[in-house]
Amino acid sequence: MSQSKEITVSKSKTPILALVILGIVFGMGLFVVGYDQGHLFSLALGESAYEDIYLHELTHDMRHAAGFPCH
Amino acid sequence: MKSALFLAIVLISGFTGGVIFGFINFVTTEPFLDSAIELENKALFESGEEKDGPEFRAEYNNYRGWQKSGMVLAGGILGMAIGSLFGIVFALSRKILPGKHEIQKTLLLSGMMWFTVFMIPFLKYSANPPTVGDPETVVLRSILYLSFIAISGLGAVGFYQIYKRLQSKKIAAFIGYAIFISIIFVIMPPNPDVVSAPMDLVNGFRMMSAFSVSVLWLVNALILGALWQKFKPDVENSDIRN
Ligand SMILES: [Zn+2]
Repeated sequence: MSQSKEITVSKSKTPILALVILGIVFGMGLFVVGYDQGHLFSLALGESAYEDIYLHELTHDMRHAAGFPCH
Repeated sequence: MKSALFLAIVLISGFTGGVIFGFINFVTTEPFLDSAIELENKALFESGEEKDGPEFRAEYNNYRGWQKSGMVLAGGILGMAIGSLFGIVFALSRKILPGKHEIQKTLLLSGMMWFTVFMIPFLKYSANPPTVGDPETVVLRSILYLSFIAISGLGAVGFYQIYKRLQSKKIAAFIGYAIFISIIFVIMPPNPDVVSAPMDLVNGFRMMSAFSVSVLWLVNALILGALWQKFKPDVENSDIRN
């Protein structure tokens, strides 16, 4: 008779790197939707981004809907 | 823990929840946003800054179209952000969360996080439609809102540490948090803006906003729980046969 044993090892260690990545996604996502006033686009487009604030307008309705302070 | 699998299911859950949240907003909050912005338009016509007509309407519809088109994308981004925060807390607390099925655990944690980092801050600094906010105070309002979320969330973590150390009468930790957050609730300065918009518009918008955000927390938890149950990223199997 053959015996089959399955050993389930539950690793208690939570991968720190994965948590750091999630932390970054959290911070950036919150910033883009909730607080960006053209900062991100200004990296690529220069100062004009602040006047056009594309990103702000694109996330504008969500900003209100999700309860972030806006205009 | 399998890192890549863990990351994937957390991000997928958040993004999916956020996209659904984005779509829901077309029915829940958008009608209120439209009426609020129409009030702003009216003020512009009355002050003589703009003239109502086909030209204005064409530009206005174009502008609103751009704003609306971002709803689903922004929902996905926000969903991933909130899902990531949830994933971090879930990974760290999963072991001690009660429940046989992973969905029971995610729902319980989601309920607690929804209450501490969304509902309580929402009651103090309620969502507002356009026309309510004063652009001059947006930085102050952002700081107040974020600080309150952080204080409430970190307060919950702090009282959880007390909860763990208590041998008996663990309920004291909940009472402690309730007292703590009530005091903070009272001493935090109120939103400085005066609401001049019609109250039924503002209240209707707030109800819809709270409902929609709650759906995001719910859907994210359901999907993450289901995926975790199926893929078990925390378990490494090894078959030993002899
Ligand atoms: Zn706005």
